[in-house]
Amino acid sequence: MNMTSVDSRTRARRSPIAWLTGSTRRYSVAGQMAIVVVLSVGALAMVLPFAWMIATSLSRQANFTMPRIPTLWPPDPSLFNYRVASTNLPIFRYYLNSIVVVGASTLGYLFFSALTGYAFAKGRFRGKQILFVAFLATLLIPFETRMIPLYALMSDLHLNDSLVALILPFLVGGFGTFLMRQHIASIPDDLIDAARQDGAGEFLIFRRIVLPLCKPALAALAIVNVIWRWNDILWPLLVISNRNLYTVTQGLAIAGRGQGIFTGVALATAALAIVPVMVVYLILQRHIIRGITTSGMKG
Amino acid sequence: MSTATATASASATGSPGASEQSQQRPTRKRRGSPVWYAFLGPPLLLLLVFVAYPTVETFRESLFRRVGTREEFVGLSQYSRLLTNPIFWKALGNTALLGVAFLVIVIPLSAVLASMLNRLRRGATPLKVIYFLPQLTSSVAVALIFNYVFQPDWGLLNGLLHRVGVDSVPLWLADPRYDFTGSRAAVTILAVWAGLGYYMLVVLAGLQSIPVDLYEAAAIDGANAFQIWRRITLPSLRPTFVFLVMTGTVDAMSRFSDLWTLGGPGGAPARSLQSVVMLMFQTGFESHDTSMAAAIAVVFFILVLGITLIAFRALLAREFREIRGSRKAR
Repeated sequence: MNMTSVDSRTRARRSPIAWLTGSTRRYSVAGQMAIVVVLSVGALAMVLPFAWMIATSLSRQANFTMPRIPTLWPPDPSLFNYRVASTNLPIFRYYLNSIVVVGASTLGYLFFSALTGYAFAKGRFRGKQILFVAFLATLLIPFETRMIPLYALMSDLHLNDSLVALILPFLVGGFGTFLMRQHIASIPDDLIDAARQDGAGEFLIFRRIVLPLCKPALAALAIVNVIWRWNDILWPLLVISNRNLYTVTQGLAIAGRGQGIFTGVALATAALAIVPVMVVYLILQRHIIRGITTSGMKG
Repeated sequence: MSTATATASASATGSPGASEQSQQRPTRKRRGSPVWYAFLGPPLLLLLVFVAYPTVETFRESLFRRVGTREEFVGLSQYSRLLTNPIFWKALGNTALLGVAFLVIVIPLSAVLASMLNRLRRGATPLKVIYFLPQLTSSVAVALIFNYVFQPDWGLLNGLLHRVGVDSVPLWLADPRYDFTGSRAAVTILAVWAGLGYYMLVVLAGLQSIPVDLYEAAAIDGANAFQIWRRITLPSLRPTFVFLVMTGTVDAMSRFSDLWTLGGPGGAPARSLQSVVMLMFQTGFESHDTSMAAAIAVVFFILVLGITLIAFRALLAREFREIRGSRKAR
């Protein structure tokens, strides 16, 4: 697209376009236009299903007839489908459940990740290597491998059909320990030793020195964990059968499958589950994208 | 034990460490104090109860059969039943086929789009945000929307095809055949649409970590844009691709939510969308055959572990050294 040779490159440094864009590399206008066009077509493909969902969810007649050619503007805009959807399922309660579950499990996960990360990065004790390998080895065990006995265990503990069942198994993980250990290892020992000289205990050092220095890594971990927990469906399907304890994702899955024939209502239900999450995403997008990039995980 | 008590016990055992320090000189030696075991105790207990025990139990259950209320040792017979069951092979085939199709499309596509994004002077951030939008939406919600997008008569996709004058539109999710317009193709389109943003972000991070000096040196040597892309960009992205293939394969193996939302545990139509995890789910929680489900879980575990190790050995051993080298350099 942009066959730059040395000469054109050096010349480009003084070209008006390079000057306007503040760039030292040459970017041809045509090349930039082509890129913008291709990427915009892709972006349109990303947005179109959502836009169509919203348009359809606002149409009452979408429940019995749909236009053969899709439209992005409902012929009869009304909030009827949303009223039906929110009567059919207690979506606000589901939001509350999701927030409790995701909040508690993420806080616990961050705390234990940092704590174990600190122990493995800065501690000196017998069996450290073996314990670290044991923590890492849990990374190799997919959740699906252990979900059947885990379900039985939850039954035995009488925790099925309680939000605790959605929190407890996800408080510790090899990934968090590993990520935090890598991060805490880069904190200078002198800083920690100085605090020890002042008589601070390890937990105080952890709370006052290590945790504040870990904020960026903890933020990345939190983002990944929140996405992961919020979207989980397999485990809630197993342990939660009480309709009042569904998370948003589970409520959507079960309600959505049930009202499949009422397109308008089903898509309004989907919108109720998606749109608030998207608003949060758009507010926090900078942090979320950075968190995903630094951790390499998608949640 | 709840989070609150675990936290409390960790902090309670943290304080003796602090008082102990008054007797001992605060030297490096104090690092050997038992406080570290107090730190690791509660999380280790959680791992033992919720990871180690269920894993061992899965292996044990796969060797037993429930007869009424007691269990009977049956050795490997669950496995021989499983490995001769065509439904299992179909689920495994679906999982592998869908995984390969997804990766073969998403990796080159994301590489091309991320390269473009990387060259864009203005407006890269909003585009990143938009491409990542589906990834943030739960697979359940995405699948629910796409159930209507793929509706044969008036769905968004066929509607657009009608619009451009295509008369015989595909049936998509209603068509269980191995076909480029069948149910498997539909869920592959869905997965690419949903996953593209994440893959682009990772490739973009890889592109941005390529040192500028490499490009400058190549330009001075008179390399053209294609040569630079072929000789510098692609080789530098190797670790990124290895990472994506590895994590993508494991993700593809454990695919569940979107397929379950579209086809139920049976992967309708005609089990064309049933993945291994869905079969495990159906066997364990609909047919209540926990031993067979445990056997599926063990085979699944071995496959995932095998893929991880093979990928690691074949691809990562070299890259690992390079990644470590580049980390040190930075």
